[in-house]
Amino acid sequence: MSTLRLDLENYRDLLEEYVRTKDERALYQAEQFSKQSMQQNISPEEIINIHLRSLQEIYPEMPQLILDSFDFLMETMMSYGLAYQEFQSLREKQLELKSEIAVAANMQKTLLSTVKPEMEGLDIGAMSVPSKQMNGDYHHFVMDDEGSLGVAVADVIGKGVPAALCMSMIKYAMDSFPELRMDPKYILGSLNRVVERNVDSNMFITMMYGMYNTEDHTFSYSSAGHEPGFYYSKARDEFEEFSAPGLVLGVSEDSMYEQRQKQVEKGDMIVLLTDGVTECRKGDEFIEQEEILEVIRDNKDLPSQEIVENVYKYFERLQDFQLRDDFTLIVLKRDV
Amino acid sequence: MKDQSCVYIKKEWDIVAARQMGRDIAIKVGFGTVDQARIATAISELARNIYLYAGAGKICFEAIETVQKKGINIKAIDEGPGISDLAQVMEDGYSTSGGLGAGLPGVKRLMDEFDIISKSGEGTTIESTKWLR
Amino acid sequence: MNLNIDVKQPEERYSVMTLVGEVDAFTAPKLKEELLPLTQAEEAVVEVDLAAVNYMDSTGLGIFISALKSAKEYGATLKLTHMQERVYRLFKITGLTEIIDIDTSVKEGGS
Repeated sequence: MSTLRLDLENYRDLLEEYVRTKDERALYQAEQFSKQSMQQNISPEEIINIHLRSLQEIYPEMPQLILDSFDFLMETMMSYGLAYQEFQSLREKQLELKSEIAVAANMQKTLLSTVKPEMEGLDIGAMSVPSKQMNGDYHHFVMDDEGSLGVAVADVIGKGVPAALCMSMIKYAMDSFPELRMDPKYILGSLNRVVERNVDSNMFITMMYGMYNTEDHTFSYSSAGHEPGFYYSKARDEFEEFSAPGLVLGVSEDSMYEQRQKQVEKGDMIVLLTDGVTECRKGDEFIEQEEILEVIRDNKDLPSQEIVENVYKYFERLQDFQLRDDFTLIVLKRDV
Repeated sequence: MKDQSCVYIKKEWDIVAARQMGRDIAIKVGFGTVDQARIATAISELARNIYLYAGAGKICFEAIETVQKKGINIKAIDEGPGISDLAQVMEDGYSTSGGLGAGLPGVKRLMDEFDIISKSGEGTTIESTKWLR
Repeated sequence: MNLNIDVKQPEERYSVMTLVGEVDAFTAPKLKEELLPLTQAEEAVVEVDLAAVNYMDSTGLGIFISALKSAKEYGATLKLTHMQERVYRLFKITGLTEIIDIDTSVKEGGS
């Protein structure tokens, strides 16, 4: 489409043509005129003025009362013009905000980044995808000198930027713990005090903390109100839910956490996740647990990272590629 | 000193008188109908601001002329509570979301120059100019 | 989905809030606005009837934790009644069944 001249002469010609022919073509041109006027920030009152002056040129005999009525129309259109200009400026601001959040999200990614360790005897897969720009889920791996792997999966109750800020605090609290090997129950106990004291009273965190000992292949874990994990036993070809009683972090000052242990056999898998996985919906229906486990089972012979990625792809498709909640999934598979 | 004409704003219908006086001066300066409508709308916003938030005040008009250009200068003066957060009232969406119309950002858009001086507890003076092109 | 909130006060310091719908990130702010003030009265008893709530997400859960905290502060009592199984699971996982008074009996005459 060629650009129209946004001037009086052109408008007048188009108007004259339309009035004479009642032709759709002229109306289409009017539509183009209006779109281009908006691009050029020409406000409605100016269009009315151009219309009025065109009429005066086409019909010099136009009665005064009709001319006057245009002043009235112009006045009633003023607010629309202003609202449009305001909309333009708000849209610019929105873009600005979006790019600021993108920067923050990037910083958060760096702050919360964790390196998935390469370990003898344990195949690790992990994936965490935010539903919006900022991630309210968190996972963390830490190795100690004796070859044990600490793994944390957490979910902030709440979404978006505040949740993400809260997670950054948890990360620093965990980093500040002494390098000594600590039992999951003590780690959760200390974190609970940090959250209780420092976080807004409306914000709570659920966390599962596990410790995998590569020497005797035991997995000890404690849970602070977190979504249960799943344990896959190769011998029985069965999944079972596992969890330990414990209250969400940040509710009560003196929460205690119970610690439990599993003996991990060759080919067994430990699946840790957040409720973005178990609570995801397809349309109005909820995805049942069995469905998740089915997908994991179908992929169980693949490397852990591929299992995790395939589960993610499956759920992404189910939810029409629009995650409703942050998604975090970790798979630990004993392979030696 | 040029002639200055003022309209006192105490009740809603004083807004109309302020618009009328502003329009008369705008016509004398030589503004066309579109600019007249813009000036009148700006006056409405300024006067309504006084009426709603300060209770009383005045709007003064002045036709100005320099070597290069002519224009109209509008001052809205009140002795109301003052505006504590100027950045907020000048923010887009702040007054419109409350259904109060274009607000001060609208005035700024309609006119060419715009300035506010406000002291908490002492009142607000808004000065705005539109030049004839 | 929507959430309908109805509050009745049969006696002074005794309120019954009936919720119908879903408690999620969209409806939680409204619930918070209505529920918290009820818990901010000395020795008040606040009952929330959840018979017609079939879904709650973690944001909704957060509202009840806030309500519990504020009730404790004012010496008020918060009770959640007729909670459905799916919703109860969420309270169970998070350990909240240990610290909130929850009743899961099915409401008479209702489904």
